[in-house]
Amino acid sequence: MVQALNAALRQCLRDDPRTLVFGEDVGRLGGVFRVTDGLQDEFGARVFDTPLAESGIVGIAIGLAMAGWRPVPEIQFDGFSFPALDQVLTNLAKYRGRSRGAYDMAVTLRVPSFGGISGPEHHSESPETLYAHTAGLKVVSPSGPQEAFHLLVQAVEEPDPVIFLEPKSRYWAREEVSMTPSPLPVGKARIVRSGDDATLVAWGAMVRRCLEVAAAAEEDGVSLEVLDLRWLVPMDDETLVESVSRTGRAVVVHEAPRTGGMGAEVSARLMELAFRKLRAPVQRVTGWDVPYPAASAEHEYIPSLDRILLAVQRVLDE
Amino acid sequence: MDERRCYRLMLLARRLDEEAVRLQRQGELVAFPPMQGQEAAEVASVMALRETDQIFPSYREHGAAVARGVDLVGYLLAYRGAWNGGAYDFAGHHFAPIASAVGSHLLHAVGWAMGRRLDSGDEVAIVFFGEGATSEGDASEAFNFAGVYRAPVIFFCQNNGWAISVPAARQTAGEIWRRAAGFGIEGARVDGNDARAVYESVAEAASRARRGDGPTLIEAMTYRLGAHSTADDDRRYRSSEEVAERRADDPLDRMRATLEAEGVDASFFEAAELEARETIGRVRAGLTVTSDPPAVEMFDFVYAAPPPALARQRAEVGELS
Amino acid sequence: MAEFVFRLPDLAEGLEDAEVVEWRVAEGDQVELNQLLGEVQTSKATVEIPSPRTGRVVRVHAQPGELVRVGEPLVTFEVDDEPGVVGRVPHDRGARRRVRLRRPGQA
Repeated sequence: MVQALNAALRQCLRDDPRTLVFGEDVGRLGGVFRVTDGLQDEFGARVFDTPLAESGIVGIAIGLAMAGWRPVPEIQFDGFSFPALDQVLTNLAKYRGRSRGAYDMAVTLRVPSFGGISGPEHHSESPETLYAHTAGLKVVSPSGPQEAFHLLVQAVEEPDPVIFLEPKSRYWAREEVSMTPSPLPVGKARIVRSGDDATLVAWGAMVRRCLEVAAAAEEDGVSLEVLDLRWLVPMDDETLVESVSRTGRAVVVHEAPRTGGMGAEVSARLMELAFRKLRAPVQRVTGWDVPYPAASAEHEYIPSLDRILLAVQRVLDE
Repeated sequence: MDERRCYRLMLLARRLDEEAVRLQRQGELVAFPPMQGQEAAEVASVMALRETDQIFPSYREHGAAVARGVDLVGYLLAYRGAWNGGAYDFAGHHFAPIASAVGSHLLHAVGWAMGRRLDSGDEVAIVFFGEGATSEGDASEAFNFAGVYRAPVIFFCQNNGWAISVPAARQTAGEIWRRAAGFGIEGARVDGNDARAVYESVAEAASRARRGDGPTLIEAMTYRLGAHSTADDDRRYRSSEEVAERRADDPLDRMRATLEAEGVDASFFEAAELEARETIGRVRAGLTVTSDPPAVEMFDFVYAAPPPALARQRAEVGELS
Repeated sequence: MAEFVFRLPDLAEGLEDAEVVEWRVAEGDQVELNQLLGEVQTSKATVEIPSPRTGRVVRVHAQPGELVRVGEPLVTFEVDDEPGVVGRVPHDRGARRRVRLRRPGQA
């Protein structure tokens, strides 16, 4: 996925001379995950290192956008995005409105996100709910290398601010990537595996976990559909409702803590839009309501194969 | 300053640091940020304080942990991914949990110091951070609050030249110690690789704070001889020539030279080396026989008493294990 | 005597594999704890690997140029028995299941 993201950034920098890439260690080092490797060599001053200041990074992105640039800043890790939260919530999300459309906030904020890498503290957070709950932002998470290429190019081209949550545990995943425009418009989900008995709804790193669950379920004669939401905002109600109306059962899987997580939002929408098609209450398999634990306990926190299978059993049993 | 003790502690810090990198390469630790080159700054500063003065470390203060006598197995458990913040006696050692969110803990030190002042206590707080942390807004807020409230806090900035791959010259256009004047607090720059100079500057700052004359910002000039962490490859952004040049200013070598010039003979250094190696051997063995806390403990320190819904989640994990 | 299999650790935040660059020891060699075994190349850096044990190298599992996945054997040692050592659970990289599903209508 790292190379796909790198290729996407390279394409954006080439195609639009107003594109800027900046953040901590993204220039000379090429990023702590090498996502911006080689970009400074090719594009010079449009790719630069900033001082260690997340609020500063987002704040200057806002100003740069006002001056007609297309900033693609990076926050080094999810858990360090919080100093910038004020700039994101108070300004990035509101500037178009505040200026009555005079300014595009064409900012794509890249944030290496989620867990599963035995990371130190603050390196494995799932902040998507905070951003999804903030009107004025778009929020997306690619589940693999091809999605990463399509979605990043698409996000950078957006005139609206996009929070781009990259699953670090998928950074080293490999697949063939075609460097074509995204076949799907912004805000569209994707059925990544068809099935009849229940729909697993996920995004980011959990899409692969759900595919593992579907393969395991198949061994037991249970057919599971896996839906990659991709865009949390704007969320694709249509595909979600179509799938769950067909299967009648839904299990939402996310790493973020249960309370107030996006699983609750998906559940509420399904209840509102597909209540009579549901044969069972929507199940959520999530991180626990605890701060993200140390690496040694991570396997008990992130939704595991067994935990998701147990939830599938619960919807089957209704 | 007890120079022999300082050398022994600095040597132990160096050997611990080297061993921890090896432990990471062997899969025993998950990640480790070496502090090689910063031993004088971290050890001599702590030596200048009382045992009851509160230390606020960031994530690279292994030398300070050694100097404060923190249980090194419990300390390294943080880097083994066993418990965020570490698993040592925080309160007993007056050594706060490891802080990885850069710059966020300066305000904690200020608040603690304000609290001591309200109690008319004369302990001081020392907070360790790098030059990169001074770019965070929270750092400026901390300097400002400390000045306004005359908090008994020592801001100990180790300017080690690099914030991962960003050199100090690109981190700030100014000199960090000079910011102090702007906040109405005392500031000083010191050779961070000169143990005696560090000791004296911290002792002076502590004295100032104890008599009610407020905070001090000390900028200790040193150098990060190792990479940012075991996940970093520093050859991508700095030359080996530069590192070799700076190694000539190794604080451990300088301390040794100082002692030799004062007539300390070879047997002292041999004994110190032996003692350090024995301690490191005990730490390695200690890590091997110390289990990680069970995963369910992630529920046990979230609240003083877990609400029912959380207790149910804990039970669910217990069932699945 | 006992056998100890040293598996490739995750050397930096979620890496999946590493390529062997060179060995400094050979099968049959007696090595000390922390002695340099060799070098591997990850996506991020070239990393020196110090020996995790004192013992004899029984088997080297990959040759220079070959890729090893994290968690797979790298070097097997013959070591003295280690009494009182608490076992370390290796990273569970594969998703192993214990739950089996019952289809709707099954007992």
